[in-house]
Parts: sequence; C-alpha cells; structure tokens
Amino acid sequence: MNDTTVTPLSRRLFLQQAGLNLGAIALADLLALESAGGKPLEGALAHVAPKAKRVIFLTQSGGPSQLELFDHKPGLRQWAGKELPASVRQGQRLTTMTANQKQLILPGITQFHQHGASGATVSEWLPHTAAIADELCFVKSMVTDQINHAPAMTKFLTGHQLPGRPSFGAWASYGLGSPNHNLPDYLVLISRMKRPSDQPLYDHYWGSGFLPSRYQGVKLRNAKDPVLYLRDPDGLPRELRRGMLDGLRALNAHHLEVTHDPEIATRIQQYEMAFRMQTSIPELNDMRDEPESVFERYGPDSRRPGSYAANCILARRLAERGVRFIQLFHPDWDHHSRLPSWCTARCRDTDQPSAALIRDLKERGLLEDTLVIWGGEFGRGVAGQGKWDSPEAGRDHHPRCFTIWMAGGGVKPGITYGETDAFSYNVAANPVHVRDLHATALSLLGMDHERFTHRFQGLDFKLTGVEPSRVVHEILA
Amino acid sequence: MGRPLRISFALGALAVHLACAAEPVRFSETILPLLSDRCFHCHGPDEAERQAGLRLDVEAEAKRSRESGQAIVPGHPEKSTAWQRIVSTDPNEVMPPPDAHRQAFTNEERELLKRWIAEGAVWGKHWAFEKPRKVALPGGAAHPVDAFVRDRLVQVGRVPAESASAHTQLRRVSFGLTGLPPSPEDVAAFEAEPSDANWQRIVNRLLESPHYGERMAMWWLDAARYSDTDGYQQDAERTNWPWRDWVIDAFNANMGFDQFTIEQFAGDLLPEATPEQVLATCFHRNHMANGEGGRLPEESRIDYVIDRVNTVGTVWLGLTLGCTQCHSHKFDPISQEEYYQLFAFFDSIDEDGKAGGNAKPFMHYQSPKAARAVEEMRAYVEKWKPREGAAREAAEGRFEKRLATRLETLTEDYRAWRAVAPHAMVSAEGTAFLLEEDGSVQTHGAYPRQDDYRITFRMPPGMDRLTGWQLEVLPHASHTDGRWSRGRAGDFILTNVKLLMRRKGESQVTELALTSAVATHEKGAKGRNYGNVKDTLDDDPRNGWTADGIGGQAVRAVFALAEPHSVSTDEEYTVVLLHRSTQGDANIGRLRLSVTDERGETITSTARAPWELAAGQSVEGLDPALRERLRQQALLDDDTYQKVRAHYEEAKRQLKECEDHAKERRVMVLQEREDSRQSHILLRGVWDAKGEVVERGVLPAVLKWPEEQTQTREDLARWLVDPDNPLTARVVVNHLWQLLFGAGLVRTPEDFGLQGERPTHPRLLDWLAVELVEHDWDLKHLLRVIVTSETYRQSSLLSADLLETDPENRLLARAPRFRLPAWMIRDHALAASGLLNPAVGGPPVKPWQPVGVWQEIFMGRFTYRPSVGPAQYRRTVYAYWRRSSAPTFLFDSAQRRVCEVGARRTNTPLHALTLLNDTTMFEASRHLALRAIQDMPENERVEGLVNRVLSRAPSEEETALLERELARNREYYHKHPSEATQYVNQTWLETTVPATELASYTLLASMVLNLDEAMTHE
Repeated sequence: MNDTTVTPLSRRLFLQQAGLNLGAIALADLLALESAGGKPLEGALAHVAPKAKRVIFLTQSGGPSQLELFDHKPGLRQWAGKELPASVRQGQRLTTMTANQKQLILPGITQFHQHGASGATVSEWLPHTAAIADELCFVKSMVTDQINHAPAMTKFLTGHQLPGRPSFGAWASYGLGSPNHNLPDYLVLISRMKRPSDQPLYDHYWGSGFLPSRYQGVKLRNAKDPVLYLRDPDGLPRELRRGMLDGLRALNAHHLEVTHDPEIATRIQQYEMAFRMQTSIPELNDMRDEPESVFERYGPDSRRPGSYAANCILARRLAERGVRFIQLFHPDWDHHSRLPSWCTARCRDTDQPSAALIRDLKERGLLEDTLVIWGGEFGRGVAGQGKWDSPEAGRDHHPRCFTIWMAGGGVKPGITYGETDAFSYNVAANPVHVRDLHATALSLLGMDHERFTHRFQGLDFKLTGVEPSRVVHEILA
Repeated sequence: MGRPLRISFALGALAVHLACAAEPVRFSETILPLLSDRCFHCHGPDEAERQAGLRLDVEAEAKRSRESGQAIVPGHPEKSTAWQRIVSTDPNEVMPPPDAHRQAFTNEERELLKRWIAEGAVWGKHWAFEKPRKVALPGGAAHPVDAFVRDRLVQVGRVPAESASAHTQLRRVSFGLTGLPPSPEDVAAFEAEPSDANWQRIVNRLLESPHYGERMAMWWLDAARYSDTDGYQQDAERTNWPWRDWVIDAFNANMGFDQFTIEQFAGDLLPEATPEQVLATCFHRNHMANGEGGRLPEESRIDYVIDRVNTVGTVWLGLTLGCTQCHSHKFDPISQEEYYQLFAFFDSIDEDGKAGGNAKPFMHYQSPKAARAVEEMRAYVEKWKPREGAAREAAEGRFEKRLATRLETLTEDYRAWRAVAPHAMVSAEGTAFLLEEDGSVQTHGAYPRQDDYRITFRMPPGMDRLTGWQLEVLPHASHTDGRWSRGRAGDFILTNVKLLMRRKGESQVTELALTSAVATHEKGAKGRNYGNVKDTLDDDPRNGWTADGIGGQAVRAVFALAEPHSVSTDEEYTVVLLHRSTQGDANIGRLRLSVTDERGETITSTARAPWELAAGQSVEGLDPALRERLRQQALLDDDTYQKVRAHYEEAKRQLKECEDHAKERRVMVLQEREDSRQSHILLRGVWDAKGEVVERGVLPAVLKWPEEQTQTREDLARWLVDPDNPLTARVVVNHLWQLLFGAGLVRTPEDFGLQGERPTHPRLLDWLAVELVEHDWDLKHLLRVIVTSETYRQSSLLSADLLETDPENRLLARAPRFRLPAWMIRDHALAASGLLNPAVGGPPVKPWQPVGVWQEIFMGRFTYRPSVGPAQYRRTVYAYWRRSSAPTFLFDSAQRRVCEVGARRTNTPLHALTLLNDTTMFEASRHLALRAIQDMPENERVEGLVNRVLSRAPSEEETALLERELARNREYYHKHPSEATQYVNQTWLETTVPATELASYTLLASMVLNLDEAMTHE
C-alpha cells in the first residue's frame, strides 16, 4: 500500500479517511500539490460518469406558490370557497398562523397556457420562463417534511432540518475540487432587497458544517467589499500591498526553513491567493466588458448591481471562470397575503433574468455541463389565507408538494415529471423528496450519494442522510 | 509528489505496529473497534436495525450457540460462524455485505480477528467505560507526564525534543493559560534566569491572573453555545452575560469542576441557594430559541430539552447521545429509553418553548460588573462633550461668514427646487408620455392596470451635487373627475420608487440610496396598507403612497438621498415609479420631477425652503426664527462638525445602553415546575410522537446508580462528577490537554465512544483523570501539572523525519506548533500593541466589524454599532455574539448554535484577508507604530516593534529586511502624503506624529502582525 501513488481517485478516499482529524497539514499540502501539478480534477473523482461540471442554484426563498406558477388545477374552480376535504388533508399539520382557521379552497388565480413543443403549463406571471419551457424539466412532485422556513430551507440545502450539516454546495465543491486558482469554489449571491426580510438568509445555508471550511460558500456582497475584508484600505495602494506581501513571504519562508512546518508554506500560498482574489473578484463585478445586448436580454433590472438580474449575469460570468457551485438567493417569496401584487413583484424580479440565463448559457455552450436548479424550500397550500375570495388573500406554507425546475447538465429538457392530486395537495405520482433531488444532482456531478460520505463523530455522513433516497433516473438525459 | 500520501499510510502503519506486538491481541484496543465499525450497525445495540437476531456487542450473545451455529467459538476460528462469514468468497454470504456500504475487512484485520478467537476470544469493555486507574509510573522520568510520554517514545525508538527557547516557552504558557502574550519585561526576566523555580513562579502568576478565567471561559462559552441572542428568525436579544461573568469568576476562584458542574445543573435546587448559584444554571438555557411565527412553542420546548441532553453528552461524557434521540445507539451501549430518561431531568423546567422576552423562567439579577463600564463610558462622553462644543462653534463661525456672502448673492427668485427636463420616458406596460414645456409629463394612450414608469433626465446646469428629489402629482382635465389619474375615481397609488444614476459609457447603474420620504398629503395607513409615502422606499408592493380621499389638487412628495451625490456632467439619472398595488388601476396621470442640492429641512419636509424665504433680505433684517432655521440647516450640512457630533451622540447612546445593563435585568435560568411533566420516549425523535412513559434515570453502561439517587438535576450532576464515573474526568482532562496542546490525548474530544479515536497515551490520560479527581477537581492543579512537564516545554521544531512518520504529533516527540484561535490572535494584537483594555466582566462590547453585515442578513432589521472609546479594546470574550451572524473577524470559531468542543483549524485566503484588513488589526498596527515612534529612538524602533509582537529580537537578516520594507514605505508615502493621511485616518486619530511616518511604520507593523510566527503557538 505504501507504493500507492497519488491518483485523484485516491485523493477522495484519502480525504474521506483523513476527515478533519488529519488537520490542515497534509490536506493543505495535498491541495497545494494538485495545484502545482496543474492536472484537471474534473471527473476524476467520479463514481459514475459526470454530466455536469458545475451547478447554478437559483434559490427562491420563502416558498413560491406552485398553484399560481406551475401546477395548473382547472378543476379547483368548482371547489372555490369550499372546505378542503379531510380525505385530502390527511391530518397535514399547519403553521400556527392558519391552524385554527377553516381551510377554504382558493383556486389558482392565474391563467395557464401550454408552451413549446413540450406543452408545459406555465402561468401568465412567468412569460419568459414559459418561452424556454422546452429547455426545462419541471418536477411537480417535490416533497419535503418541514413546514417552517428555516428548518425547511436548511433541509432543502443541507439535507437535514437542523443547522450544522454541510450544504449541498459544500459537498459538491468538496467532491469536485477546483479548477480555478483565483476564486473560491463555491460562491453565494444574494439579491439586494430593501424590505426587512421575514426570512433571514443564515450563513449555515451555505456552510461547510463538519467539512473543512475551505468548502464553505463565500458570499459575494453587494457592497464596497464584495468579500469581507477584500478591499485594502484607502491610502494603501496595490504596489505597496504587493511589496508588503513580498516581505511577508520572505520572512515566513525564512521561518519555514527554521521550523520545517509545512503549514507555513500553506500560509504563504493562502496570502498569495488572497492577493489574487483582490483582483479577480472586482474584475468579476466589473461588467464593462458585457455588451448592451446582454443587459437588454436580462432586463432593465440587470443594470442595477445586487439585483437578482445582475446576479444572473454574474452567475454566468462565474460559470465561465470555472467556479463549481454558484448559488443565488432571491428572498421574499413568502406570500401569505395579496398574491396579485406581492407574488407578481417577485415574478417580475426573477422571470426574465432566469430565462435569459438559460439562453445565455446555452448559446455559450455552457448549459450542457451546467446544472441549473430553480426552486424554494416548500410550496403553498390550496386553502386561501385571509379572506379567500378577496385580492388580499394569500397562502400558507405547504410541504407535501411543490414545483421546481431544472435545466442543462444531463437533465432531460422539455419534460414534466411527477403529478399532484386534483388539489395540488398531495403527490399523486412519482414523488421526489428533497433528498432524491440531492441524490440526483450529485449523480449528475458524478458522485454516488451512497458512497460519497464523510466521517464525523464516528459516523459516516452523507448529504442524503439516513432515510432511503434514490436517483431519479427518469429525468436524466 | 508522494509525500502526503506516505504520511497518511504511515498512520495506518503505526496502528498496525502497535497491534502486532508479540503480546495477545487485546479486545478493547484492537477487536472492539473493528467489530464496532463493521458489525455493530446491524449486530449491535440498536434492536431496530438488528439482523438475524444476532448481536456481537454482548459477549454472551456472541458466544451463544444458535441454530445457525455459534458466532464466536473461543479458540476455534474455523468453527465460528462469524469468522466463516467474514472470509467467505460468496457475495451473498460475506460479511459485511457488499451492499451495506461498510468497508470490508483487510487481510491484516482478518488475521487479528482470527488470532484473537484462536487465543480464546477474551472479552472486555470499551476502554472509556472502564474506571480510570493510576498505574505505576514507567521509569526514567521524574514527571508523570514525561514518564508516560517517554515510555511510548522508547517503544518506537525515539527521544523527546530539546527544550524550547526561553521566549518560546514563555509565549506558549502565556497563551495557554491566559490567551495573552507575555510582556517584553517578563521575557527578559525569564531569559536572564530560565530556572525551574522561575518557571513555577511564572506559571503560578499566570494562574492567578484574572485573564486566566477569561481564557478558560472562551473554552466554556463555546461548549455552552453561549450567545447574546436567541438565533433563528427573530434572533431576539437576551441578557445572559452575567452568567458569562459567573463562569470567569468561577475559573478565577478555581471552583472545583465538581462544584462547577453541580451549580450549573442545579444551583436553583441547592439549599439556601445564592443568587449566583441560581445564575449558574443559565448554562442550560444558552441553547437557541425559536420565535418564528407559525412555530409551535411545544415543539421548540422539546428541541431545547434535547439540546440540553446532547450538550451533557458531549461536554461531560464525550458521548454522541444525539444518535439515541431517534433510535438506540448503533455502536455504544445506550438505548433510546435511557436517552429519554436523561431527557426527563430537563423536561420539567418551568418553560413553555417561547423565545425572546417570553423565554421564562428568568431571574432578576443586577450585575456588579456593569458599574465599571458605565463609569468608563461616562468619562468618555465627558471627554467628548467639549470637543463637540468646540466643533459646533467652529461650524457656527463658518455659517456666519457664509450667511452674509450668500444673502448678498441670492436674488428673490431663488428656488431650492429646480424642475428637470426628462429626455426619455419609458413605460413597462404601454402607457404613453408627453413632455410639456414646464417639465410636466402627461400620460395618454393605453391605460394598463399596473405600470412602471422610468423617467430619465440630466442634471440642470450649475447643480454640482444632488441631495434630494421631488415628485409633484398633478391633476388634469383628461383624468377621471379631473383628479390625478385615469383610473378608478382618479386616485393614484405609488408602490415603490428608485433613483438610479448611470455614467456615460457604462452599462451598469448605481442606485442612489434614499433615506426618507415626506409628502404634502397622504392618506395615512396603519399596518401594511396604501397611504404612507415612506412605504415607497421598501421593495414591498403591498404598501405605498396614495392621497386617496383628498380633493384633486397638486400633491408633492420629497425624497432625501442618504448621502449627497457629487454630480458630474457625464451622468444621467432615472427615477423609477412603480404602480403595482394589489387592486391596480391607479397609475399617476401627470407628474413633474425636480431636484435640489440643499440639505436639512429642504429634503426632510415639504415646507418652503429657508433660503427661498431669506432670499433678498439683509443679515440685519433677518427674522430670528428664520435665521435659526438657516443655522440648523448649515450645521447639518457641515461634515466636519457632523463627524464629531455623530461620535459624541454614539458615545451618549452607548452610555445609555451601559446604564440599562447596570440595572436589574432578566437572566434566563432553570426553575422546576410545580408539577412535573410526564416524560415519554419520542418515537423517531419526533416531538409529538409519544411512546412509553419514562422516569428520570442515568446511563447504566457508564455508571449504575440507585434509583433514589436519580431524582433531581442535582442527582444527575452528582452522578456526572462521581469518582466512579469513568468518563467525566477523562473528558475534562482531555479538554484541558487540548487547550494546551491544540489537540487532545483523545483526538475526538466529542466522542469517547466506540466510534471515537482511542487515546494516544491511554495510561497518561487515566493518570491525569485520577489526579484530577484526587485533587478535588482542581483545574489549576491539573494545568500546573501539565505545563511543568518537559513534554510541554520541549521545542516544536519539526524534522523531515518527524513530519513523515508522525505528522499529527501523536507521539509527542515534539511540542505542537499550531495557529492560535482567531480570538487569541485578536487579543494578542491588542495586547502587543498596548491597546488592550484589560477590564474584566460587564456588558458585551462590539469590536470593529465591516459595515452592513447585520443589515444584509436581516435586510436592515438590526444594525451593528461598533463600540466607541475604551470599550472597543476589550478582550474578545466580551464581544457581542449574534447567533445568526457570528463576529466576522473570528474564523474557524465555534458557531455557538450547538455545543462544540473540537478545535477547527484551517488555512484559507479569507483568513489572510481578515488579518490584513480587519480594522482592529489596523488599529493595533497603527498603535504599535505610534508607540515605536514616540517611545523609542529611531535606530531601535524596528527591533522594539518586532519584540513587542514576537517576544524576541529580530535576527540581523530580519532587521535588514524590515529596514528595507520601512524604507520602501517611506519612499512611497513621502511622495504621496495624502495617501498616508488617508491610510492612517481610517478610524479616529489624534496625534502630532506626521502621517507619512506613521503610515510607513503602520504598514510595517501590520506585516509583523501577519507573520506566521506572530499568530502561531510555537
């Protein structure tokens, strides 16, 4: 065994066995080794042939209404204002906001049409998404088991409802390694909104849990400092910073000779990477090299830095630069009231840019190896919240079914998978639990969710947890 | 290329080496870990998972003759069915089964199993469940720690390292026991006489320092998941910091760990409990609390109880009890029922699962530690009061001068607001626009139900800054009833506005932040409804501005920019007006936009601007009231004064906050309900899936106790610290070892169970555990024992050989070398630079953190205001901890959501950026520079500065390099003095030292603070 040479495959095994306990020394060395060797890691860790090299996760926080956007239930019109049958509800728990109210049915308030060759039903509130329906795979039978935001989003993004597990993005960047030496592997972009949010976006949503912290998502802020502490202070010019780092390196290198501690070599490299990030990240945000046509395609909001639309352009730029996991968050989909004004506002924020991103990726040849996922932590219930027949009505949280869409990266385009019952309340066919989504996405990245584990506190943890989960082969191209 | 891999396999080789010794294969060391890892999942304690009714974790069961044979037949591997299955080549037979996703046995492991069975399959307990015993010290060393460490070294043919240099030893022990560096004087004294007696004296002095308690508290606060807020969505504030001070005091008073445990579990139940004993129980209330709307309080309450049980498991027992919440442990002998017996101890707290101000039970407690903070802040306010006065006077002087000259130039037709002439008007949904001569924009054509208008204009000539804009909504004959719109009843509803700036040639726009909006008329609305103009500033379409209910006259709204914007001629501006109300049908029909460069009341009220009123008058003839308005406006616009004033106001605000903390506050503590709750097993761990009723009880696999002694929380605490409890003392000793060595003797401090790692020096761990109990749980004694060993004091220099054979330092053939925790790096920088405020205890403080971090997460609901004055330079243990946004300057730190006892240590570019650019690190660098310049002759500065940071003088080579660095900095800043001024003035600064010189030394100091050596335990 001592004769084993370093192969990328052994790296994964090695990382797994070493876990956190091996500490930074060998791990960092090994990583340094890879970058020095310059060999692409892509696919090398694969259990199965990878279809996607990267992920763009368009996270819609708050729980978009499948009833208004995707899950057309024309039959509900005859149920309007009637009580939800107990046979449908089957004891489903409600939040304390509506638990003591009658569950009176509010049929979807939007018009639906069929779109494209695939004939997907998409609501009038998402005209741009409708226009690219043939590129998308709609999963209408998503299921989760959490009814409140934070636990549900934690489950959606980390596989467990309690904070502390590594996020999907951390697992992915852990497994995939990095082809880019100037940017982190996992970047997070949050839409800038003025409304005080009801659902804070906690950093454990993109945390690395018990994985090494280099795999945690790095939040690109819409601020002077896109990454915390990135910007040197005013009055400290680049040339002086360079000089200071050269001096630092010389002194550290000298100390390395004395102590022989390889951690110092790593630290020298990390300071150099920090210096490179000081250039590479502002360069990302500087969109002067994007032609006017790009902004026209992504819509007027895309000119406003920090908007969801601008972040969609940024996502494409990150994909071009080899970043493995790009996660957007758009808050404020928690529409307990006034669907006609509130839900439409969030649709207008996101519809055109999401669709533009898909088209843009496709034209640049990136869609085929980029997995794009659009969705939130749960769906919304068929009962109206507030007075059901007033424009003021909204909907409460609903975990038993919701809709997401995926595109690119080995997903079958132009299909709709799964069905809900006549009330969009229970899944009627082909349920896809959140953990099945994780298993499927990992599989597209070349990883078998059963074998992709990390030992912590004596247990082998995996993204999909302990309940059975499956790769949804039916939606793979 | 192969080096790192050889490292990893060397570890495996080490384990095999130990197991291959000529002595018989030992069950607990060698066999149990294998069985646990490969077999117990299906053949272990968990009944639900058990296959074929076979369990291998119990001797009698494993050796019982069954129909299918006997799993283990002592002395006869070939007759043992377990062995047969392990070596089977049939994929349907072989164990573990290929589809179980467990690693197969290696040939070496099979060999060991076979030998063990052949040798008689002698059974035993997992090591951690056996009571620790002191064995006779192996010969050759006087000190017990050294005796055990060397015994092991001898076995592998190694020798310990030389002693570390005196300054290194001193730094090490100062960081280890107080978290602070030694003073240069201490170093010099010890270097002059590095005797053992002196070492003892230093150790004793450090243990008596009040900073000892702070250092130990940092360990305990992470374990206790202490935070100043609840966490989750609401993340409400709590006042539990008096408990943090209780912890510091307890460590400083060297309270025995047994008493420390009992008071935190059951201080409220002790006879004639003091307020401090009740306060101690806050330990078990430091968990998160969920105040999310829609959350069932009972579900949250169950979460809290579970959190307490898991915390007890991790912190005292080193057991992963969390696993048993849903099912019996798969590896360790703990059943789900036993888990809920522990649960029952914490199930009858008089709480109801609520958060924030409703998180009862509370105690009323007035901390004696707040008065000092109040005094300190009051003195600071007093210091700033005259500064504010002087700055105001200077500003008033500037106003007087300007008043006269301005009145001379202003003509009577002066107008504060100037109408703009839009050159582009775009509608999202089809409305058409017509621009009229007076700048009014009239809509016509299509009338969509909702619409967004984007109106683009350039600044009128002569406007060199923009401070606010005004929207006039005008009536017109073409509108419904001649009012404001063509919609229903002629009303309008404006849901949101934005102001964007775009520079020529750029495709992106800049959004100019707006801080306030006022209107001549608004409907007024409560809650989320249409009426108030300020509601146009959020991104929420469910509220906004309407003048509905008022006659059809012109109405105006005035919007203020957060900061004045400097106008340049290549810019154009776009006002975005959103009409996206729920009902719709209320788009503005006619409007006009105007802009101003005035500040103050011009942009915060709709009254006529004071300068308009004053225009044409003389200074003498000016109405005093109007003059006062002009003065106020001028002061508001005087940035020099405003900077001073803001600081003074902030100091006053923080004084008020301190005073509030000094009053009686409510601290979350434990208190038993009058009638106990009935506790149940929760099926699959689900909060409302109640299974069988359980009574309070302890874990028999750890230590059996009679039922009458397992009735109260106090009983539970006494069980934990009973001398016969095999776990607690070992776990605590391991924590202490980890504090000093960076890693424990058991490298998995959170797991002493079967899946955890075995100790690197089992007999040493046991010796220390017994020593702790024999000395009445005296933590200082135990620390003293460790730090007086040669093992602790040896050098940390690595050789290529050691790096290859023992990269993780499991043999302790050298002292560990590891990066200090982030909090200690900050404390070190403050102490080394002389900025540290050494005060102990009191309300939390807010160290520098980048602007906007809290606002981003909570979209503005919380704003972080860094402490002003001496409070800024307190130790990190006092830093305010918002659970959902841990201090940004602490990397690799515990998250304080659930208890954490392991040390994270990674090395990333983000850490580098933090230490390069964090404001505290900058201020420490600047202060080091100031002191070097002010206190030392020029030729000693570089050396003095290095000495303060590294506790040693630089070598000649280093000095030469540092001098070159300094020369380069000077050359640059002498050429660019304004940059030097900018660089050193990032935060408030008062000094006569020239900026160029200060900047040059500051950058040098920052480099020294960023040296690997500066941030490393060597």
